[in-house]
This record gives sequence, structure tokens and C-alpha cells, in this order.
Amino acid sequence: MLTNKMNHSPSRIYLQLKIDVIAIGLLILALCTRLYKLDEPRHIVFDELHYGRYVSLYTKGVFFFDAHPPLGKQLLYLAGSIAGYDGNFTFDRIGTPYTDNVPVKALRLVPAVSGSFLVLITYFLMLELSLHQWTAILAALLVLLENCFLAQSRFMLLESIQILFGLCGVYCIIKSTKRIGLTALVWLCAAAVLLGCCFSVKYSGLYTYYLSLFLVGRHIWLQLDQIKSGTRLLFSALWRFAVLLIIPLAVYVSVFYMHLSMLPKAGPHDSVMTSAFQASLQGGLASITHGQPLHVAHGSQITLRHTHGRTCWLHSHAHVYPVRYADGRGSSHQQQVTCYSFKDVNNWWIVKRPDQASLAVSRPPDAIRHGDIVQLLHGITSRALNSHDVAAAVSPQSQEVSCYIDYNVSMPAQNLWRVDIVNRDSEESTWDSIRSLVRLVHVDTGSGLRYSGRQLPAWGFHQHEIVADKVLSHQDTIWNVEEHRYTKADDRKERERELVTAEMIPTAVTQLTFWEKFTELQYKMIAHAPDAPHGHMFASEPAEWPLLVRSIAYWLSPDSNAQIHLIGNIVTWYTGTISVVVYSALLAIYSVRKRRACEDLPPFVLNKFYETGYTLFLGYWLHYLPYFFIDRTLFLHHYLPAYIFKILLLAYIMDHIYLVLQLHEKTKHVTNLFILCVTIWLSYIVLTFKKFSVLNYGNVDLKENDLMSLRWKDTWDFILHKKI
Amino acid sequence: MASWYINRTFFFDVHPPLGKMLIALSGKLSGYDGTFPFEKPGDKYDGARYQGMRLFCTTLGALVIPLTFLSIWEMTKSLEATFIGTLLLLCDVGFMTLNRYILLDPILLFFMSCSIYGCFKVSTLTNDGLLPFSPRMLSWQIFLGTSLACTMSVKFVGLFVVLFVGLRTVADLWNILGDLSKPVKFTITHLIVRTLTLIVWPFVLYVFFFWIHLTVLSKSGNGDGFYSSGFQARLEGNSLHNASAPRVLAYGALVTLKNHRTGGGYLHSHHHLYPAGVGARQQQITTYTHKDENNRWQIKPYNRERVEGTVVVRSGDLVRVTHAPTGRNLHSHRERAPLTAKHLQVTGYGEDGVGDANDVWKIVISGGKDGEEIQTVRSKLMLVHYLQACVLTTTGKQLPKWGYEQQEVSCNPNLRDKNALWNIEDNVFDDLPKVSFESYASGFLERFYESHAVMFQGNSGLKPKEGEVTSQPWQWPINYRGQFFSGSTHRIYLLGNPVVWWTNLAFLIIFFLVYIINSIKEKRAEAFGVSRQVGEGSLLLNAAGWTFIGWALHYIPFWAMGRVLYFHHYFPALVFSSMLTGILTEYLLSSVRSYLSPELGKTAYHCIIGVVISTTVYSFYLFSPLAYGMSGPLASEPNSTMAGLKWLESWEF
Repeated sequence: MLTNKMNHSPSRIYLQLKIDVIAIGLLILALCTRLYKLDEPRHIVFDELHYGRYVSLYTKGVFFFDAHPPLGKQLLYLAGSIAGYDGNFTFDRIGTPYTDNVPVKALRLVPAVSGSFLVLITYFLMLELSLHQWTAILAALLVLLENCFLAQSRFMLLESIQILFGLCGVYCIIKSTKRIGLTALVWLCAAAVLLGCCFSVKYSGLYTYYLSLFLVGRHIWLQLDQIKSGTRLLFSALWRFAVLLIIPLAVYVSVFYMHLSMLPKAGPHDSVMTSAFQASLQGGLASITHGQPLHVAHGSQITLRHTHGRTCWLHSHAHVYPVRYADGRGSSHQQQVTCYSFKDVNNWWIVKRPDQASLAVSRPPDAIRHGDIVQLLHGITSRALNSHDVAAAVSPQSQEVSCYIDYNVSMPAQNLWRVDIVNRDSEESTWDSIRSLVRLVHVDTGSGLRYSGRQLPAWGFHQHEIVADKVLSHQDTIWNVEEHRYTKADDRKERERELVTAEMIPTAVTQLTFWEKFTELQYKMIAHAPDAPHGHMFASEPAEWPLLVRSIAYWLSPDSNAQIHLIGNIVTWYTGTISVVVYSALLAIYSVRKRRACEDLPPFVLNKFYETGYTLFLGYWLHYLPYFFIDRTLFLHHYLPAYIFKILLLAYIMDHIYLVLQLHEKTKHVTNLFILCVTIWLSYIVLTFKKFSVLNYGNVDLKENDLMSLRWKDTWDFILHKKI
Repeated sequence: MASWYINRTFFFDVHPPLGKMLIALSGKLSGYDGTFPFEKPGDKYDGARYQGMRLFCTTLGALVIPLTFLSIWEMTKSLEATFIGTLLLLCDVGFMTLNRYILLDPILLFFMSCSIYGCFKVSTLTNDGLLPFSPRMLSWQIFLGTSLACTMSVKFVGLFVVLFVGLRTVADLWNILGDLSKPVKFTITHLIVRTLTLIVWPFVLYVFFFWIHLTVLSKSGNGDGFYSSGFQARLEGNSLHNASAPRVLAYGALVTLKNHRTGGGYLHSHHHLYPAGVGARQQQITTYTHKDENNRWQIKPYNRERVEGTVVVRSGDLVRVTHAPTGRNLHSHRERAPLTAKHLQVTGYGEDGVGDANDVWKIVISGGKDGEEIQTVRSKLMLVHYLQACVLTTTGKQLPKWGYEQQEVSCNPNLRDKNALWNIEDNVFDDLPKVSFESYASGFLERFYESHAVMFQGNSGLKPKEGEVTSQPWQWPINYRGQFFSGSTHRIYLLGNPVVWWTNLAFLIIFFLVYIINSIKEKRAEAFGVSRQVGEGSLLLNAAGWTFIGWALHYIPFWAMGRVLYFHHYFPALVFSSMLTGILTEYLLSSVRSYLSPELGKTAYHCIIGVVISTTVYSFYLFSPLAYGMSGPLASEPNSTMAGLKWLESWEF
């Protein structure tokens, strides 16, 4: 740490230079370990696959969809673009070697440097929590000598960035609670910005944010009996929470603003988004829908897209529902109507007013408005969309939807649908392509056309089922017109040819405001259920984390047994777990003793025990407990944010034991023994760290017995090439 | 369900057994013969004597009301609070609907209310300074323990009430501990007595209920398939009951292999090939849940066709497994499995037992040592493919029509697959002495454990399917949507009385504010020495705090649950919420009263109480058709009698 202080005195100018030797030393050590041979292995390691791919897409400006917020990826991109990465590398699978145009070192530099500063910030944070300097050094060393942080910060992964932002945020919060006036405000603002960044990297950063809210809340609570003036108290509470709410949110929104403005082009994930969103990107859907007529009119040829949730289009084809289903129920035996996830000529429908015979669009077009009653003819087969009181194929509680075939049995066509525009401005709204969200309500039964979410069996080609459902309010009943053109020919053959060959002449661009895009993206991110690769070989359960049951294999060299694993330093790991137990036990003991009015500890020790310890203890559980309720495939690296708090707690427990030993005359001489034990324990940690670091650098070919000697728990799985 | 108890056939359900046993008992006593099928809601009871069971449930449901009255009284000693709280519950239409039918909920709510009452009774007695061993204290604690056990044994939601009582007990102990005039020993005696009565005793009872359950259900029924071979051997009428087979597995024996996952089938093959495009066109291997000749396999050493004499198969041996009816070997190779892309395909290969090197499997006892003898039923086996180093497993996914909708069998390269365990069920070999299956049958504790494992799996397996309308926790307190109870002509719709529910909701928020303001006030008063009188108000607020905790405990956990949720899950929380409203009304009214002159205060107080009571009763009168049954057109149509009552778009009556 470098502090330059200019001292203006009338006569001379002093330049005082203060260097925190310990901090610098720690930083250098951290940088050495983190940066050592950073570009090795020159292969894609684990999730670099995803993040690398996103960096490429950023470089090309191609829109992509990811369930995590974008800041971390943007930082990686920044490093990449400074180093001149051109985005021309396909990240196809783990283990592929990088070509020369990928600046591996630059890309990996961001997490590596963050990982190094992580060591530094633990040192300062522990100092700020007013512990001994030695304790702070111990904490920093523990982080430095932790294999899992080393592994996580050497590759293009986001945890180290997230944890760094989070800890810095907490540090600033603590600073701010100790100051008053303007300094407090400045620190709090800094904290707010950092915390905003933290959860813009990964949503698990929100837990750090909650911790900070708690810290500020506690600070205000403690002020309650110190500040006499009620208005001042209210004011101090208000500005604190205002800062903590508004700034992080602003950071988050601006990160997304950058995200969206950096990615103007259409790309592979477009279909996740709504038609309107897609049309606002360059290329892709926009190039198709560009300039298509706006108002849907009598005679319009349209494709109808299921707006929310799964991407699919209303579809029909020249196959009928089977007479009997597998469960013995009968069907209408009419033409199938499905929801199909791919573009197809069978997705085209023609809008027709029931009373007009000609299908050509008149001039001016006879626009359909909200509340109008229409028929929908399937483009290729010319049959009308129909529904009737027959149970649907897979969801028998709803009505079947079909294209009507006149079998001349007592089953008349019921093919009238009312157009219900959900996002209309007035009762007279026209039905616009892309923009209007419509619900098609069956006139005879009052049911709405709905995507049921279920798949049809083989007879329906595994396409998705369409039903008419009584519950209109469900969001699966909402559709929008995506592609749209006016019918010119009246002859059926001509129309078919038009359908197959049509091309559009663009005239105008669809525009969406930032807020519309932002809210849509947020909604999709929340609703996005990842097709989790259940039963991933290296997945683990939250309950297994404190005991380090599983590691994660990150990479295996193609020609030797050199490999990279995410694995913790087991000595630190286990003592960390013990420290959590010890803290809980001490907490219980001290409270019970206090309840019986026994004062064992002087107030300042006890105060620190509650304040410091509680911050760390709570930090640990806040970052850990929520995972028990998350229904997703989880990995060991999800534990890291919690783990860093555990390490800090461990250092604190050491500090506390030392203090307690110092307090009493009787135990004072044990102190030296305790220091000796800690030293031995620490050197043991160093040895373990060294032994396992081969699994972090991945630069040593490991023989079978080397691997066996590393396999300290038989639940750890290392990989061995088969001898040929 | 009750029918099954009466007929003593075994079944499977995700809830613990006590509620169903009580219903069965009441049915039996009132002459129900267990023949009615109970297929779907809306069916007519044709002559079945269901009234007894319904009467039983309704009585228990009705008893909840007086119990709530007693609980609030125990907490607050304020008649107004008690009366309003109970009245709200009494006038709630949904609560009444739920308690009128043969369901587990009235029983659950009854035992839950008993627990709440017991809990506060014990805490009052403790505050009165009763000694831990005094008979009154002890009997109340045993009552509380018993109610807890019963609640837990009706449905697992009872766990939340156990937590609640646990917290309350800790708070009691904490109070005792804080009394410096008593020695620590006093607290410890209290602790020991409570451990015995509130932990050990309920647990014993709980196990006892299961013991009854497993003893009563001694006949084979449709729930068998969910359980292991050892479990099935206990059930009369099951093919494993009273059967006998050699104890160990020898080369040449004809066996069936049952998968160890819950509800897992037998390893099966048949004369049909995998269709073109699905890996190699070789014979299909599946798992099949029914007993069939095609489930038979023969175990042979990997290099010879037959062995002279009796050689026992040991863990770690290399074997070939031949499908007895078709003579094909169990085989796997580098082709992807039909449904699970990461697994390898398993096929039947070869002709009359002659195949290739890919037919060799290593047979391993999971958790055992090499060289152990393989035992029928008992040993959990893994079959590891020798060349590909993958384990034979079933993914539980259904194959399409070409596989007759049997389940996929594949070879998983991840050897830690939980579904890769198999056990030998039938074992035909003439040269070894046979032992009766009785000896394999699991003991009570094993069965107790297994039925829990199956129940938990069943519970977590109740996942909503994509696109299905499920009830979500946020909808409950605002009474967003109800639940249909009965068919189309005489409709019954479970929906809370909106007046009661929305009042409750408002009071939850009010409580939150009042509590925060009050604690800030208290803290500042303490610091700056302004004296505040502590009186009835703090007692009420304290009681309100406890009911709030109870409400949160019974409501918030549902947010974290992945399983299918129903509207009726909210009702335990509703009991607490109504109590809270009652207590808080009294608190607010008396604070308002203290600001007014005595004369005016009295008048205002009585007026407001009067308004509250009459509104509640009138709303009950309005909405009661929901519970007693409506007929005629749906409320969405204007000519219906209920049209005026459709206050929310989402109500579907």
C-alpha cells in the first residue's frame, strides 16, 4: 500500500512515503502463485468453454442469452480486446487446444489478478475488523495457500472476480460504519458501487449484498440509543438505505445497458427472446420481418408464435389425430394442430373474416381490430382452425384443437375465433404484427387457444400439443404474429406457390426502448430453467461441501496424466469446518454463562466476539444455506464465496483463543505452546498446498502412484489415461 | 385408503399412517366394509357407509375451534382477543370446507391445535414456577408429547409444529435459566424432563404407529413394487412369501435380477431388436416391473460354458450373463444408449451363449470385499463391464413404443451411479440346499427405515409438469385461487372467506410495523430513561410475536419446496394467522382506548368490536354456499346466485 501525502508548509515541501511492507509482500507472493505459467495449459479448461464463447460473441457484437448477469464476461472481453483478440475461435469442447490468435494470457489475467488482490483484501478486511496484525496475516496466508482459490483464479472463471468485489464491498461498509459525516457517505457509496458490481458478476453476489444490508441495519440499530435527536436518526437511516438501494441498482442497470448496446447483432440464442426483441437486432429475424405490413388484415398470411416460454409456432400438417389414443379415449380424427419449434412452411396461416369469400387483401387493407371475429385457414391444407368439445390428446381436461375436416357426421365446424389483443391501447386497436400480443378465444366455448406444454407421442411427431383451455389468464394463451404478408392471389395453387417462394421487401425497422429490452431480458433470465445436465459426474450436494467429498475435474492433458482439479487444501478446509462448530459452541456457552450473570471475559473481548465473529459467521451461512433450497445441479465452486468467510472465521477463532489464553495468569505460559502449534499447523498447510498444487498448474505428468498418493479420500476421483 | 386397512392389503402413500388408520378405525366401527373403490372425486357413495368416517373427521375438525379458543386464552388471558381470534377461524368458509370431508387435514389440524394448546399450557405452568416433576406439569408435558407424535404421524408438515414447540420450549428454558434465584440444576432437571417427554416419548409413539401400520397391512397389494425383495417377503400373497431358494449364488443358476432403485424392475430381454438408428441392431435389454419368464438369466464364468459341480460365485469374479429364453449374452459396447446420450447401449448379443469379449462383466458386491460369496436377496450387486469400465444401470426412462414402454437399461461410465445396484431375487439351482425366504425378510427396523426412504422419495418425486397449473405459495395468503372439491352438479369449492383472509393479511403487515416501532421505542426509552409502563400491552404483543413465528414456520418453508403444492397447505398457517389477528385487534383497540377519554373510549371500543363481529358473521353467511354446495350455473355467468360474490377474476366457482 502506497500513501503519498503532500504536506504544504510555508517553507518546504515534504513527500512522505509509507509502504505497508507486509501488504506488498503478500501481494507479490499472491501474484507469483497466481500468474506462474498462466498460459499453460493452452487448452480450454472447464467453464472457459462458456466464458470464452461469450467473449468471442462480445467481440463480434452478436447477441447471446445467458442466465447470469454480464459484468464478469464484459471484463474478460475488455482484457481480450486490449490484447487484440479477433473473436475467431470456436470454443467447442473442453480440452481443445487454443490457436495462436487467442490471447490466453490476457484473458486469464483478469481472474488471476483479482485472485491475487483477494489475498490483499482479506488482510485489510481482517485489520479493519480490528484484529491483531498477525491474525490478518494468518488469514491472508490461508487464502494464499488455498488450492481451490488458486485453481479458480487461474482460468477464465468468474468466482474470484465476484468474491473480490464482494469482500471489497464489505470492507467499505465496515469502514463507513466507523466514520461519521462525509467520509462515511463516501465509503458507503464506494461500497454500494462494489456490491452492485458483485451481483452483476454472478447473482450469488446478492448474498454479500444482504450481508451488507444487515451490517448497515445493525449499525443503525446501535445508533438508536446514542443519538438523541429523532430527526437526525431518521435522516441517517434514510440516506444510508437510499444509497445502498439506488446505487447498486443503477450499477446493475447500466451494466445491462452496456451489455445490450455492445450486442447489436442477431445470433444463435435469438429464439429465446420474443419476436419484438429479435426484430430489434440486426440481421436474423429483423432481416426477414423488415418492412412487412404492420396491420393484420383480412387475407393476411401470418405465422403465430407462442410468445412466452418455449419458442414454437402454431402448426398443422396433413395428418389426423389417431382414432383411439393409447389410453383408450377416442379423438375427433381430424387434422392435427401442434406447436412446432422450427420454422416450416406449415406454420403459415391465413386470416379470414367469416363473411368474405375472397382471400386477396383489398385496398386499403381491411384491418382486423380487437374483438373482431376471424377464421384462421391453414396455408398449405386450407383447412380452418377448429375446436370442439372433445378432450385433447395429452391434456384431457382441455378441449382438442384441430383443422376441420368435414366428415359429414354430426360434428359441425366451430371455427370462429375472437381476437383479444392483450396489450391494446384502446378498444379500437388494430392487430399489429410482432407488437400485438393476442389471445384467440373460441367463440362457441369461450376457451382460449393455448400451448399446453406437453409433447405429443410419435403419431404427432413429438411436436407440442395445442389445446383450447377455459382458463384464459394463463400466459401460455398469448400469441403474436411474427412473419406477415398480404395475400395477393386468390387462387389456391397460386397462394401455395406464394407461400413457398415469398420474399419480403424491407421498409422499416422495429425499435424497442432499452427498458423494454431490459425488462424482457430480466424476465427471461428468471424464467429460464436450465436443461440441467442432471447427474453430472462431478456434481455435488451442498451437504458434501464442508467435508470436501468431491472435487471437480477441470482438465486432463490429452497426452499425459497432467490434470487440473478444483480441490481445496484439505487441512485448511477441515480446520475451517471445525472453527464453525467451535464458534457456535462458544456462542452458546457465552450466552448461557451471561444469562447466569457470569462474566468470564472483559467486555471488549466479548464485544469483538459478537461483532466480528458474528459478521463472519453470518456471512458464511448467508452464502451457504440458500444452496440447500436450490433445485439445480450444483458444483463445489458454488461453495467458494461461503468458504472465504469460513477462512476468515477460522483466523478469528485463532485470534480469540490466543486472547483468552492471554487473559488469565494460569494459562499465559500455554500461549507459546499455542503459537508453536499454529506454526506447525501452518507449515503442514504449506506442505499440503505444495503437494496439491500440481493439480492446479497441471504442468506435471502424474504417474499412477503419484495420483494414488494424492487421493487422500476415496471419494475423490482423479483421471487416468488407460494404458494401451 | 381406509379400505385397504380394513382389507389389510399393503399400499403405498407419501404420508405417514396415523391419519389413515384413524379413519379406517372409525369406518370399521361404523360398519363400513371396505369395498367401495374411491376412484375419483364426484363418485356417488352407492350404499357405502361413509357417514361414520365423515362424522369422525368433522368432529375432529370442529374441535379445532374450542382448542384455538383455549390456546389464545392461555397466551393472553384476554377474553376479547380470544373471542375475535376464534370467531375468525369459526367463520372461515375454507376452514369449514376442509374439515367436513374424509381428509387427513382435519385430523392434522386437530392434533396441531392440541400441540399448540399443550405448548402454551406448559409454558404458563412453567411461568407459575411449577416443579418439573409435579404431576400436573408432567401430565401436560406428556399430553404435549403425544399430540406432537400424532401430528407428525398424520402428515410430515407436522414437523413445523414440532419446530414451533421446540422454539417455545427453548424460550421457556431460557427464562428459567435467567432466574438467578434458582440453581442451574433446576434448569437441567427441566431440560431432562422435557427431553424425555417431548423428544423420546413422541419418537417412541411415532415408531409404534408405524409398527401398527406394518403389522396391520400384512397382505400383498398394489404398493408392493415400490419396496425391496426383503420387504415383499413379509407380505402374504406375494410370490416371495413362503418361497425358498438357495442362500448363495452358484455358476449355472437361473436367476432374476431386480434393480435396487425404488420401484425398480427386473432385468429383462425379449426377441425384439433395437430399431434401426438406435445404436446397434441387437436384441433389446430393458427392465420390466412384472414377473415374467423373460426375466430369467443364467450366470456363467467368462471363459467356459459350464462348470462341474457347485462353484459359488464370489464378488470380483468375471462372469457372463446369458438370457435363458433366448440364449443371448448381456453385452455392451461403444454406442450411445437409446435415451441417455452419455451412457453406453446394452444389448443381447451372441448365439446360444457364444458371444465376444464385450460380454464379460465383473460382478461386485457394493461395499463388500473381493471374494465374498454372493447371496440371494441380501447382496447388493454391481455389474461392471470389463472392457468399457461402465456399470449396468437403469435410467428409469421409458422407452418408446418399439421397446414396449419398458424402461431403458444402459451402461453408465460413472461408477457412482445410485441406480446401478441389483439384487438376486429368484435363484434356481438344484444342487444347493434351499432356505426359506423368511430368513431374508427384513426386520421391523429395516422396514421402518425403508418405508421412510420410499416416502421421502415419493414426496420429492411429486414434481409439477411443464405447463401444468399449480398453486404457488404467494397465492395463498391473498386467497387468489381456490380448489375444486366436488363435481359439476353440486359444486363445492375450497376458498377462504375473503373478509377473514384479507383481514389476516393486513394484520400480518400491521404486526410487523407495530413490532418494529415498539422495539425502537423501547430501545430509546431504555437509553434515555423515559419510563414506560409495562403492562398488559407487552403480554399481548409477546403472544402476537409467538403466533407470528408460528405462522412464518408454517408458511415460509413452502417457498423452498420443489414439489407440487396445493392450496390446502396454507391452512395450518391460517390458524396462527387468525390468532394473530385476534390478539393484535385487542392490542390496537386498547392502545387507541388509552388515548381517548374513558367514556368515549368505552363507546368506541364496543362499537368497533360490534362491527368486527357482525362483518365476520355476515361474510360467513354470504360465502357459506361454497362449503355447503352450489348448484346452478357458474358464477361467471350473470344469472348465477353467486355472481355478486365473484370478487376476484381468478375464482372459479
